[in-house]
Amino acid sequence: MAATAKGAPARGARLSLRPRKTRAANLAFYIVRRILWMIPVVLFVISITFVLMHLAPGSPWDRTGGRPLSKAVIDDLNVKYGLDKPLWNQFLLYVWNVAHFDFGLSYQYQNQTAAHVLLESWPATLTIGALAFVLIVPLGVALGVIAALRQNSVIDYIAVGFSTFGASVPNFVIGILLIIVFSVEAYHLTGGSLFLPTGGFAVDEHLILPVITLSVLPVAYIARMARSSTLDVLRQDYVRTAWAKGLRERLVVLRHIVKNSLIPVVSTLGSIFALMVTGSVIVETVFAIPGIGRSFVVAVSSRDYPMILATTILFSVVIAVANLIIDLLYTVIDPRVRLG
Amino acid sequence: MDGTRGTLKSLPITAVLSITALLAAACGSTNTSSNGGMAPNAQQILRTNSATEPNSFDPGQMTYDYENLIGRNVFETLLKPKPDLTDVEGAAASSYDVSSDGLTYTFHLRPNARWSDGQPLRAQDFLYGYQRLLDPSLAAGYVDPFFDTTIAGGANYGNIDPKNTAAVQSFIQGLGLSAPDDHTFVIKLAQPAGYFKWVAALSAGAPIRKDLVGSRYTSWASNPAGIVSNGMFKISEEVPKDHVTLVPNPYYWGPKPHIQKWNDYFIADANQAFSKYQTGELDALQVPLGTQDAVNADPKLKSQQHRYLSLGIFYLTPNLQVSPFNNVHVREAIAHAIDRDTLVNSVAKGQYVARQTYIPQGMIGYTPSLGSAQNYDPAKGKAALQASGLPTSAYDKIKLLTRATSTNQLINQYLLNQINLNLGVHWTLDVVDSKTVTDRIRKGNFQIYGPDGWGADYPDEQDFFDVYTTGACHGLNWGCPNNKTYDDIVGKGDAALKQSDRQRYYDQAAKMMEDQYWVAFLYNRYDVTLVKPYVQGITSTAIDESNYLPGDFNTNSIYIATH
Repeated sequence: MAATAKGAPARGARLSLRPRKTRAANLAFYIVRRILWMIPVVLFVISITFVLMHLAPGSPWDRTGGRPLSKAVIDDLNVKYGLDKPLWNQFLLYVWNVAHFDFGLSYQYQNQTAAHVLLESWPATLTIGALAFVLIVPLGVALGVIAALRQNSVIDYIAVGFSTFGASVPNFVIGILLIIVFSVEAYHLTGGSLFLPTGGFAVDEHLILPVITLSVLPVAYIARMARSSTLDVLRQDYVRTAWAKGLRERLVVLRHIVKNSLIPVVSTLGSIFALMVTGSVIVETVFAIPGIGRSFVVAVSSRDYPMILATTILFSVVIAVANLIIDLLYTVIDPRVRLG
Repeated sequence: MDGTRGTLKSLPITAVLSITALLAAACGSTNTSSNGGMAPNAQQILRTNSATEPNSFDPGQMTYDYENLIGRNVFETLLKPKPDLTDVEGAAASSYDVSSDGLTYTFHLRPNARWSDGQPLRAQDFLYGYQRLLDPSLAAGYVDPFFDTTIAGGANYGNIDPKNTAAVQSFIQGLGLSAPDDHTFVIKLAQPAGYFKWVAALSAGAPIRKDLVGSRYTSWASNPAGIVSNGMFKISEEVPKDHVTLVPNPYYWGPKPHIQKWNDYFIADANQAFSKYQTGELDALQVPLGTQDAVNADPKLKSQQHRYLSLGIFYLTPNLQVSPFNNVHVREAIAHAIDRDTLVNSVAKGQYVARQTYIPQGMIGYTPSLGSAQNYDPAKGKAALQASGLPTSAYDKIKLLTRATSTNQLINQYLLNQINLNLGVHWTLDVVDSKTVTDRIRKGNFQIYGPDGWGADYPDEQDFFDVYTTGACHGLNWGCPNNKTYDDIVGKGDAALKQSDRQRYYDQAAKMMEDQYWVAFLYNRYDVTLVKPYVQGITSTAIDESNYLPGDFNTNSIYIATH
């Protein structure tokens, strides 16, 4: 293009479309790119889920109790929900609708949209999951670091013992045990007053037992990881230097040991966070929490296709976003990491 | 119509009787209250557990027991079963007449019946409710008792394209339904059906207000708390996936319920529900087989146990369309190979009762002697296998298809051991998830399946015998005997005007079924529930909708005693 205006670049000079390479711009590009990447990822997830769920035998109208539906009714239901169309047609229609944020009607909860049912169940899961997540990181890290700092002491043995217990005892056992001890037996012991609720969801003491149950395994997992990475860091030269410099213990531990031993822990937090907020079927079932984990399993077992797809899409987006946040966190914790 | 009174022997006094009965019930409750047993209104709170959230609160779209329980208490149908199940009694209709040819049913609605918003209940509401139920585009799950050889014009239901609005409208307008005035609802039948009075008592046949449905034809009930209904309760709140709350309908015409707040929870986990019962957070719950030992071991819990025999029968269903079960002798061998008494007492911990007939105890037509053909007799079983003329390889390695539930597997392991031990064969279990099982049955892709069975929609034999007709092959009638003679006999029984004639035909059908070993009968079940001692006034029936609250047909008599 000819340069006509005064002060314009000379003919032939290349105009860079990219802004100046600042760190912030790089980061912004990185985030945008990662978000755009979610589109093919979600599409891939939809395709796989769509194929798998249609491969599973049984139709949404095959009752597993109650009066079986007659053929005439099944035919009418298939027409009503578009299941009479060829599969490829159903798939394209679904993708088109999802692109318009229409996730379809749930088969199981008649005449309610899958998005509505999903949003109804998610707050309970999110509350418990987020609370557990807030709890597990400091607890797990503290347990692991203290155990490593006092290696082979009683504290270490207790921490390692807890980690082994937490990693090996299934959470439904822990959940049922907690209910028996803190609800049923406590109720009998106190002569008929409820110490902690057996189950159900409310933002009060109802949260205590499920959050504990949900946290045991990840706390154990993080504690083990934090312990071994701290032991690694303790042997590093810079830690020895820090001690040699005569720094106070608090400074050595917090600035040199904990910060560095957190790097491998942070790398797992994305998946742990996603796991927490997408719900645990077991915990939600044992404590009768109206959450998304249980509703997903019910959707699968009742072949509620729109619910299955909507839940999988939500899960994939949550996991992708959580991983993105963790990747961004890396740059804060470890200045050597550059994104872009 | 000619005004001849129909199948109900004392129809002229039905209305009087039902009103008297209701008054008596009301007086009874008052008496209980006056003797100081009843807790104050603020404590009249009932907490039950249905385990599952209803898929819909629209009576036209409810099919499961736990949905029908809500449907029945929130909406009132034309008639309802008497507690002793000998007949029906008036509900929203105070009485009904049947024409002498058995084809026209005229229901007289109560003039004082009202909706929960205070509007009067009109016959047009029933007309709309029935027409909507029978609309193919709604695809109502519980519609078949209403169109299958019952309401005139309904037989064509399966042939209507639900997308063709004109065809749908023409079908609906052609149905034998009319409301000549505000208090008269008339149903014409395609053929005489002595059992239709029971169909008119099914919770799906509820009235619906056209003005409230408006353009939200399928979704008008998606906000449960806003539903206007005509039953003794109305829905005041639903917390999704958690519970639904019912409160008395202030405009209900009859005796008001004592319970002022009824929370029905959706707790799926049996352990959680059991814990809640123990900590006083639930007042009633079902006792699953897995919890029965814990209940038996605790004298206090055991004393709170309610047991009532439900109208249902469980059996093993061989696939008569495939070898070796197309051979009657092989089927006979199975029926003789199972010690049902040990099964019900030891394995089922007393929750089941051994049965060898199709019609269960408690129903008209129950004839225990008919079951002798299926007596436990291993020697006879082995002899039957010999008599089949088949090589051992034909029946030695059969797979027993089972739904993957802990109860089914427990029962089936016992059944398998019995068959293998008593017949010297080597059968195995084929444990599959429930949906897959239903899919395989529908496609006829199984050898033998069970235990599963049939539970009464209503206490009339027609409800049982129609299951085994040819049209229901691999649908309700899993094994597909496809016997034209049986179809004819059942058809005659369904259409006979006199009860004695119906009984004769049905007895013939039962004998054919039992002699030809279409299924191997096993047991029927007690509905076992735990109910807190302060929950009083329970009048349970064998066809109670749910298995977690005894007396759910007559909830207006239930109350909380001072405790």
